[in-house]
Amino acid sequence: MHLYAGKKHQKYILNDCPNDQLLFAMGIRNGLTVSIVTKQPIGGPIIIRIKNREIAIDKALACHITAKAVT
Amino acid sequence: MDCHQQHQFKHRPTGIKKVLLMGNPNVGKSVIFNRLTGLDVVTANYTGTTVTYHEGLIRHQGSQALLIDVPGIYSLNVQSKAEEVAVSMLNAGADLIICVLDATHLERNLSLAFDLQNYDIPVVYSLNLSDVARRKGLEIDTKLLSQYLQAPVFETVAVKNLGVGALKHIIFQDFPKVNKMQVHNPIEKSQEIVQNVLQENDVELSLLERFSDWCIKPKTGIPIMFLVLALALGIIVGGGKAIRSIILLPFVNQIYAPLVTRIVERFVTDGIIYRVLVGEFGVLIKMIEWPFALILPYVLLFYIVFSFLEDSGYLPRLGVLMDGIFRKMGLPGSNIIPFILGYGCAVPAILGTRASGSKKERIIVVTLISIAVPCTAQTGAFITLLGDRSLFALLFVYMLSFITIFFTGLLLNRLLKGKSRPLILEIPNLLLPDFRSLSKKIWIKLKHFVKEAQVPMFFGILLAGLIVETGAIIWIGTALEPLVVGWLDLPKEASLSLLLGVIRRELAVMPLLEMDLTTIQLITGSVVALFYLPCISVFVILVKEFKAKIAFLIVLTTFFMAFFIGGLVQNILNWVM
Repeated sequence: MHLYAGKKHQKYILNDCPNDQLLFAMGIRNGLTVSIVTKQPIGGPIIIRIKNREIAIDKALACHITAKAVT
Repeated sequence: MDCHQQHQFKHRPTGIKKVLLMGNPNVGKSVIFNRLTGLDVVTANYTGTTVTYHEGLIRHQGSQALLIDVPGIYSLNVQSKAEEVAVSMLNAGADLIICVLDATHLERNLSLAFDLQNYDIPVVYSLNLSDVARRKGLEIDTKLLSQYLQAPVFETVAVKNLGVGALKHIIFQDFPKVNKMQVHNPIEKSQEIVQNVLQENDVELSLLERFSDWCIKPKTGIPIMFLVLALALGIIVGGGKAIRSIILLPFVNQIYAPLVTRIVERFVTDGIIYRVLVGEFGVLIKMIEWPFALILPYVLLFYIVFSFLEDSGYLPRLGVLMDGIFRKMGLPGSNIIPFILGYGCAVPAILGTRASGSKKERIIVVTLISIAVPCTAQTGAFITLLGDRSLFALLFVYMLSFITIFFTGLLLNRLLKGKSRPLILEIPNLLLPDFRSLSKKIWIKLKHFVKEAQVPMFFGILLAGLIVETGAIIWIGTALEPLVVGWLDLPKEASLSLLLGVIRRELAVMPLLEMDLTTIQLITGSVVALFYLPCISVFVILVKEFKAKIAFLIVLTTFFMAFFIGGLVQNILNWVM
């Protein structure tokens, strides 16, 4: 599944991140465990938490990040 | 915010240590720079504030060192302009690097630390925001970190001036020549280091952190956003009105104006010179009354509110909440920052778009700001003109501005080719701003306003006085009659506003104060002034930043929109009422 389809408050492991310089600079990479904080309305970004950092990621970009739910 | 260019030393002292201050964006680098040098530098809590760089002198026990504030960057990959600048500064050589690390985001910050070790320049690390880290339950073993990095590490809390003294002290120590260090897998290495030096304890979320979460979740965030905006508006409008009517206007009307009139009367008592000096548009009186008594209170309060929001880290949250709406206009939500800056002054707002985004985004933001975002001086003028007559009229003008921004944005997004960037934004910690940095920043902006406004204001008012007193107004009024009287239903003299509005934005509004207008006429005049060409400085910046063709197109659009919407509003209001 892609990250944007994820549920709030659920943890995910990122499997496949697109090769994007901005993602890379923010330290978003494969193997990272993230949780979804919230999604913004009308096509706004998704907000994920990585440890204690919060990062807003564009909807279009988040749709290209493949993730797996952590149970 | 032209202050960016002001502090470069023309005659750089030779033979002293050169120190580079580096770090990721938003780690408090600018505050450390401020503390070390004591120089006026505008600091902010959002990404990308340091577009150009600053230099300053550090003085310590009779010695001096040159400190260079390098733009905030995440790595040295030369992907952005900021990284390009950083690399060229490193290649130029230095005696020491102070690398500021954010203690709350250590892992991400370390990759820049490794990049710096590819240069044979000694590095000292400042582990900043360590108080915030502790509050979040993060404990960092600085000794161990220092062993891993093979360099001294100092814990600092720049906003409270803690640990900065030790940092200053070490700058003047001698450093042995260092050898380049190669880290082959920076990601693994930083994970390894963080695993060993960082201990995460569970702490209850502080009130500020819980509030920070509420700010970003739509259900609570949108009401908070409206509350913040209402509060900001209340402070600016209400506070400004109070300062104006209690202190400044009595001073001008009861003390200053009679005094100046009496002095002038000793030399001339009537005639054109008398009237130009102290008459209806008397330059000696209006040059004090307009900018200081009527406009300055609002400018001051705007900058207090804006700087507070900027330093608290609230603005990126606003950007995230607004991203959905901004997207429709082809803009990532982070562009809320140049917009809000534009409500201060369009010039820094336009310069601020340099750092961000595609050409399409830049043109959209700049066009929208030029057309429909009133600057704080003009806002002051609107409040003076409309607020006293009817609050509804004031709200109407602002609603019209928002609606026009949105629809023009939609249209531009369709018309212009090109793409806009996706939004990726790290949300900084929400914090209570440091009073010292805040007041310094507000002071610099206020000084800048007075310096920029005074001369054009003087000549503008002088021109107004001459045009009115020589009777040229009748000639100009007749020439513009079909437009001003026929289409806009304003008196002939209102053409004065159109002439003066070219010089400064608030001058398109202020002359209306001196005329006896109906509420509908006040609204029409305000609407025209709102959409009219911002001011001569904005025009100059537009030509400098873009091609002349684009600048002229934007200016023509502002003229067209001003008269078209102004006339439309007038006709509709007169028809309805």
